[in-house]
Amino acid sequence: MMAVQLWQLLDLLLAGLTLGLGWAAVSGPDLRRSVVFFIAFGLLVAVVWARLRAPDLALAEAAIGAGLSGALLLSALRDEPDAETSDDVRGGPVAALVSLAGLALAAAFAWVMIHTLGAADPVRLADQITAQLPNSGVGNPVTAVLLNFRAYDTLLELAVLLAAVLGILALGPARTPYRAAGPLLDGLIRWLVPLLILTAGYLLWAGAHAPGGAFQAGAMLAAAAVMLRLGGHTIAGLPRPPMQRILLTAGIAAFVLVGVITTGLGLAFLQYPGGWSGGLILLIEAAATLAIATTLALAYIGGRPAGWVSEGSADTTTKIGGRD
Amino acid sequence: MLFAEITYALTGIGLFALGLRGALLRRSLLGRIIAINVCGAGVFMLFVAIAYRGPGQAPDALPHALVLTGIVVAVSATALALALGRRLRDSDHE
Amino acid sequence: MNSLPVWPIMLPLGAALLAVIWPRRSAWIGIAAGLATLTAVGLLMAQVASRGTLVHALGGWEPGLGIALRADALAVALLLMSSLVALAAGWYATGYFRDADRQSQFWPIWLLMLAALHAMLLSADLFNIYVTLELLGLSAVALAALGGGRAAIEAALRYLTVGLLGSLAFLAGVAVIYARYGTLDMLTLAGLIEPEPASWLALALMTAGLLVKSALFPLHFWLPPAHANAPAPVSAALSALVVKAAVYLMMRLWLDLFAPALDPASAWLLGLLGAAAVLWGSWNALRAQRLKLLAAYSTVAQLGYLFIFFPLLAALPAGPARDTAFGALVLMALTHAFAKSALFLAAGMIQQQAGHDRIEELGGTARALPVTTFTLALAGVALIGLPPSGTFLAKWQLLSSAFALGQWLWVPVVAAGSLMAAGYMFRVLGFAFGPGDGAMQKLVDGREELPALLLAIVATAVLGLGAAALWAFVAPGALLMGAQR
Repeated sequence: MMAVQLWQLLDLLLAGLTLGLGWAAVSGPDLRRSVVFFIAFGLLVAVVWARLRAPDLALAEAAIGAGLSGALLLSALRDEPDAETSDDVRGGPVAALVSLAGLALAAAFAWVMIHTLGAADPVRLADQITAQLPNSGVGNPVTAVLLNFRAYDTLLELAVLLAAVLGILALGPARTPYRAAGPLLDGLIRWLVPLLILTAGYLLWAGAHAPGGAFQAGAMLAAAAVMLRLGGHTIAGLPRPPMQRILLTAGIAAFVLVGVITTGLGLAFLQYPGGWSGGLILLIEAAATLAIATTLALAYIGGRPAGWVSEGSADTTTKIGGRD
Repeated sequence: MLFAEITYALTGIGLFALGLRGALLRRSLLGRIIAINVCGAGVFMLFVAIAYRGPGQAPDALPHALVLTGIVVAVSATALALALGRRLRDSDHE
Repeated sequence: MNSLPVWPIMLPLGAALLAVIWPRRSAWIGIAAGLATLTAVGLLMAQVASRGTLVHALGGWEPGLGIALRADALAVALLLMSSLVALAAGWYATGYFRDADRQSQFWPIWLLMLAALHAMLLSADLFNIYVTLELLGLSAVALAALGGGRAAIEAALRYLTVGLLGSLAFLAGVAVIYARYGTLDMLTLAGLIEPEPASWLALALMTAGLLVKSALFPLHFWLPPAHANAPAPVSAALSALVVKAAVYLMMRLWLDLFAPALDPASAWLLGLLGAAAVLWGSWNALRAQRLKLLAAYSTVAQLGYLFIFFPLLAALPAGPARDTAFGALVLMALTHAFAKSALFLAAGMIQQQAGHDRIEELGGTARALPVTTFTLALAGVALIGLPPSGTFLAKWQLLSSAFALGQWLWVPVVAAGSLMAAGYMFRVLGFAFGPGDGAMQKLVDGREELPALLLAIVATAVLGLGAAALWAFVAPGALLMGAQR
């Protein structure tokens, strides 16, 4: 009884803090403070995921949602010296109207959800997943859904990553690199980068039966790349551009190849033949890890790295005022 | 209907509305991007809340997979938006 | 297991990967992929025409646990439209981008956009549709930003932020559906949806997201700058295909999946917004100074017509009248796609030759670029709605349904819209046929004008004369998933 009330208190506290940090991130006039609040918000959301028994999500949120997004926002902030805008949130009657509409929407939404959650069957698809888990080739149900039951969604998601990074690469060359790191940061990087790579390998392997998987592993590798870049290594540990192109496409390519082979065998697209599921999933996840890492690293670098353009032609930035 | 489920579902709805309001009212690109991300976190929280089935049972893995997909999509979009913003700023300084 | 529905998605996707790895061969890869995709779509169409709706359960899992692809007549008709327009615009693009680097940047993203479009048309899973929406949105933004100028980047950024909010609203709706019904598979949901607050909220959220993406008044503000400043082939795809995808989803949700939960009167809101779009868009097209901006505003107006069909279809009981009206809606969507892409490609041609696209300085275009001017004229016929274009038949059907149902409001709106369309198209043609030299350079390659011309011919002649065949193909599927009950 006491334990239940304690948990409820914890939940209320956590929920309240999350809302508070979200409010601070969204409504603060100072941009720098907003970014920091947002990173804290992301980490708190990761704690909420852990509370709700979603460790895979907690890992991903901390690494990608708070970590990488935070790193991207901080670098964008660096390029914006005039972040003192004390006037960033619009005021006036229009703002009041928007706020009122938002409140009404939230109220209606909340009412419907309370009504629905009280009445509906809470089982949904969970039982089906549990029932089919032994046939999926892995032990972690989230990995089973991502790489087997709904592998097609993951395939398209990798395509979303690719589209975003291609757009970023088309816009222009990379951001200004950082100075070479001092001895303290350099020493730290020398320790952390190998550790991150090892952790990535572990997460990839463990993702089959424990929390982890390709996305978390890829995010670890991307974090290593970000560290290297911040330490002054411009290339951030990436291989030369022709290899980068291959890595970017590796995840989707693995999926498509496996899918084409399965259709050739007369099965459905991405229907793994009996007994092969575990091995194929690991293969695809490995390719996806490399692809995700390369994509996120290039996204952080912010543009074409040196040597990206094919031999002989000049590096063309998106020309302002031109048409091609 | 579990207490945790409803608490976090309502928090998610609150964040969704907060983020939406922020995205409409903020002037700077960075502020809008943060607001959109908070909005997304709200929707994700709604999914994960309905996936929770209490301390005794394993949660519903489907929404977890959906949210993982959503997190990755969100970071891709954020990166693209920031790159576009940077290009815009560079063009202003040219 | 018939895996034909998979190919229209995997062929462009695989080609995109190849185009990333071999950037210097990207144009060849792109055109080859376009032809292969068209072939796959043709085969799929033949199968659906002879055997009816095709379902493919991806991964072999039961839909619900897994994701299903579903090819019915509506989806296949739009797939054909998409493959043809994309092939023509892609062919044009090989000549448009003079810079080799721009070419190699264009093709992978273009192919990803095509894959996203086809994936969306064939998807039967709500969350999968969300992912395809995001892929489509991001690739469209990346393509729009290839325009390069400050205006293009600013417009692309606005498109991105607005589009993201729309996608999140859609996702929120999906969450409500999963919470209430416990599945994301549209085939299963078709039998489950009931008229209750959860359904209404979900539909409202998803609709809000889709209205942003289909640029329905008053959420259209992002479209004119984005479409006007993008490179010509990209503008063609954006106006003809990308916004159509959102309208297609609206059709699936309102006329199919959620139809049992809806009161016919609720569709009036869509119709009224559509009417406002027709009037506002046509008025601004009349006032536009630049040809591409005119085309973009025209898109806003033409999409408005599509939404006017919604209250009519909602009010008609199932039967031949509804089937015909539904066929008219599809015909109008298809004709607009071909006509608008032709218009944008022609505008791109003019812009490259003259260095600008200011309408009042178009004098002499008819002499310098006769084929392109003819294309403009044909596209104009299809946009205004003169016979024998498909638009004429569609608008005729729209008006008869309106008369039959007593929904008189739409009649003056359609009339006014068509008159204004005549106004702005004839204005352009008037200047084009007028005197002047327009500082035209000598035309480099006459073949570059061909894709636009072919598109315009399809819009004006083929779709109009072949409308009966289209009607017969699409109409029986008018009840789509509802027939499963």
